[in-house]
Amino acid sequence: MKPDNPLVTGLALVAGLIFLSPALYSIWMSFQAADAFYAGKLKFTLDNYALAIGQYHFARYLLNSIIVSGLVTVIGITLSTMAAYAFARYEFPGGNFLFGAVIATLMIPSHISLIPNYLTLAKVDLLDTYAGLILPAISNGFAAFFLRQYIRGIPRALDEAAYMDGARPWQVLWRVIVPIAKPAILSMGLYVFITEWNNYIWPLVAVGKEDLYTLQIGLARLYRLNPGEGGIDWPLVMAASTITILPVLIGFVLIERHLVRGITMGAVK
Amino acid sequence: MTPKLRTALALSLSTLCATTASAQAEVTVQFWHSFSKGNEKALEQIITNFEAANPDIKIDADFIGNYNDIVTKLQAAIPANRAPDAVIMEVTRYGLFADRGVLADLTGYLDADPLKEQLFDFARKVGVYNGKNYIIPFNSSTPVLYYNKDILTRAGFTEEPALKTYDDVLKVARQITEKLGSEGISGVAAPGQFARWGLVMDNDSNLIDPDSNEVLLDAPNTIEAYQWMASLVHEHKVASPDGVTEEDNGRDAFWAGKVGIMFNSTGNYTQSRKALGDKLAVRPMPCNKVCSVPIGGAGIGILSSAKQEVKDAAYKFISFAASAESNAIWFAGTGYMPINKGAARQPAAAEALKTQPGIDVAIEQLEFAHGRPRPPVVTWMRSSEYDQWQAMALGQRDVAETLKAFATSTRNESQRLSN
Amino acid sequence: MPRKFTPYLFVLPLIAFIVVFTYIPILTSLNLSVREWDFLSPDKPFVGFENYRLLLDSHEFWNSLRVTAIFAFVSVPIRLVLALLIASFLVRETLSARILRGALFLPFVTSTVSIAVIFSWVFSTDYGMANALLRAIGGEKVPWLQDPAIALWVLILVNTWKQLGYDVIIYIAGLQAISNELYDAAAVDGGGRLHVFRRVTVPLVMPTTYFLLVISVIEAFQIFTIVNVMTHGGPAGATDMLVNMLYRTGFTLFDIGKGSALAVLLFAILITLAWIKARVIGRKVHYEA
Repeated sequence: MKPDNPLVTGLALVAGLIFLSPALYSIWMSFQAADAFYAGKLKFTLDNYALAIGQYHFARYLLNSIIVSGLVTVIGITLSTMAAYAFARYEFPGGNFLFGAVIATLMIPSHISLIPNYLTLAKVDLLDTYAGLILPAISNGFAAFFLRQYIRGIPRALDEAAYMDGARPWQVLWRVIVPIAKPAILSMGLYVFITEWNNYIWPLVAVGKEDLYTLQIGLARLYRLNPGEGGIDWPLVMAASTITILPVLIGFVLIERHLVRGITMGAVK
Repeated sequence: MTPKLRTALALSLSTLCATTASAQAEVTVQFWHSFSKGNEKALEQIITNFEAANPDIKIDADFIGNYNDIVTKLQAAIPANRAPDAVIMEVTRYGLFADRGVLADLTGYLDADPLKEQLFDFARKVGVYNGKNYIIPFNSSTPVLYYNKDILTRAGFTEEPALKTYDDVLKVARQITEKLGSEGISGVAAPGQFARWGLVMDNDSNLIDPDSNEVLLDAPNTIEAYQWMASLVHEHKVASPDGVTEEDNGRDAFWAGKVGIMFNSTGNYTQSRKALGDKLAVRPMPCNKVCSVPIGGAGIGILSSAKQEVKDAAYKFISFAASAESNAIWFAGTGYMPINKGAARQPAAAEALKTQPGIDVAIEQLEFAHGRPRPPVVTWMRSSEYDQWQAMALGQRDVAETLKAFATSTRNESQRLSN
Repeated sequence: MPRKFTPYLFVLPLIAFIVVFTYIPILTSLNLSVREWDFLSPDKPFVGFENYRLLLDSHEFWNSLRVTAIFAFVSVPIRLVLALLIASFLVRETLSARILRGALFLPFVTSTVSIAVIFSWVFSTDYGMANALLRAIGGEKVPWLQDPAIALWVLILVNTWKQLGYDVIIYIAGLQAISNELYDAAAVDGGGRLHVFRRVTVPLVMPTTYFLLVISVIEAFQIFTIVNVMTHGGPAGATDMLVNMLYRTGFTLFDIGKGSALAVLLFAILITLAWIKARVIGRKVHYEA
């Protein structure tokens, strides 16, 4: 990366800050005492966070979001990698048909399954459970498709060498393919994690118990129920919003490169 | 770390670890309700009293949202078997659930309960659907007219203006908006759904005929009433559209001293008084063509799916909540009307009547208050009415045309539901 | 040698999930769409195409389709033009380009609910940032989300703010694939910057543009979160996009038959769009290469 004219860099910084100003201002607002804020004064406080975590259970929602997004990612990526491996390395009767069925899901809008999935999970008593949140989100045709393309780029000679050494297929997958495909798997995992973290409509219908709210549901509900005596307590809502953004924000700063790669690789299909 | 933050962290950690380890009462009743802010505190008081008197029963109370939210969440919960054991149900919207066997028939319980004789007639009747008792009244209300004395004075009304007809109200609202509009004060809050129904009844009409269950949404007087209400917002601009898109905004603005007149349930009395103090005045609803107000509020029902011992425990609570003592706490703490004949004799209620001017307006309106019908279609009609109202109030669609189409779809829906 | 059923074992778990949560639901929706049900009754009587007829007869459906189409066909082209212009500036590997790319991309990975809440504040009539800025330059306050003529444009703006970074990143990837020699050749031909942009950049990133165009339109047809949090489809139906109507019909009015019919129609629309995508992109990419 070339450093350029400090003036240009400065301008770029300012432009970036202006673009992000609504979000930055909301974070700043979350540290202001509500009374002072509405009176046009400034008073730094952590009380909004105390309230969001204590009275409105945002620590619990954070934990739920981590559990749900984490499990969806781990299970989903595992299943997708296994399938991708088989589709990349085996010719088997029905293989193309099955692969077509996986690809087709990319075109099927998830909303057609909203009511049916609700009824399916209701029938097996899994609504209002972590499983109910996780199961419908697991299958990810895109991840399978993408990883298959990646695995096809890995030389078959590596597999064959391992078979010579007496490895079983799952050992080849685990010891040969996965280590080489690690960057792709990681990028795809991040993409899946963020998508699930921000998922809204399914948790909205699948969860009634407050104990199982994810951050998204908790935040939308906090905003809608207007805590506070008069109108909305904006500083409190912004504290909750900041808690919702923060984990992804930190992750973003740490791994921007992987993420961008995952997303651009996604585009080149 | 501030001490407050530290406590909060500790608290949340302990709730995380202790969700299942809480002290096991013998029976837990899961109870959904619609009361927030000050009204929730009054409810908590009643629950605390009940649990003290019945240590073997725990009431697990959850605030769900407004009446409409409760109905929605309950309907979604049925195929999923995740309905609670007891639930607050608004008096016009439980018919559907009674009809489909979701709510348990409480007739047997009430017949054996001395409470039956203590309830006012008007209150007992709200719980009856097709001759059986499905909910026990808890909070009863009529809409009333609230106004902010300070705003009226500043707008030039040295004496209290007449507020009897639509024209009276419009005149006052206009003058307020003209004089004080520059300060961000508007004449009247856009009426919420309960008040809309009340204003239609003032105009000698109804949304559904109480005797025949016939849909009256397109009756001439209903259309006229809606035309007037909608004109407040988009034609005369004396009501802010904020209260149209989100009903509570109108009320919040009234509490913040930004609105002169508000039509709303008497259940907002105590919080309005807290917000405005002596500036608050309460008057009966207008009588444009006739004097007639709807009886609103809600009662508590028990789900058929609850286990028998839970049903028994839930009924105990419901009966306790409607007792003279609880009802007095509730009346004084919220402004909802007494439903128990004995409530007025309780010290809490007597004190409230003495010190809180206007809390009795709703009670005085009872002589021209009417119950409303509750065939299954009302639930659908009320859920759908919000969007129709928005379209009319914001001047997007013609009132007569909208109500005619809405009446047709409501009749279709009614037929569909009775299949 | 691996045994015959090994590949089936590897694909089975994924296929099972897809069948249960994607394919069977399509059949369930089709089935429910010709029935009548409210979640409460034990029976689901067959009513033929009545639900479709009611839907196609209703003011609501056409309003919803119109609003969704405006949203998609207005916001997507604006986004793409902006994104290509920005991308052609940010394609260089310099520090300032890095900073701006990061800033633009951040909203894309941020929670949509948070964004919706933050912009609800920005556009709230009394305390919002937008009206504060307007007043500062002497304007009147605007009821952004209460005025049916404005609310949809606010949502378009918010969605653009959220999605722009994604489009930019994709365009940058597309631009990086264009070899420098082509630019040099065009420059030698005596073209100015604008000329090069029009004659070289725009045609060569056409496959990327088609890709973005189609996936953005498909995504715009499925927009829900911003609508649900910011307007609930109001005021007066002005932002009642299709998925919002689907959610309302199914999960607040509990007209399960009509809701399913709507889901089927939405499915048909999106499949058609996807089919166009396959045709057009398939051809274009082939043609360009």
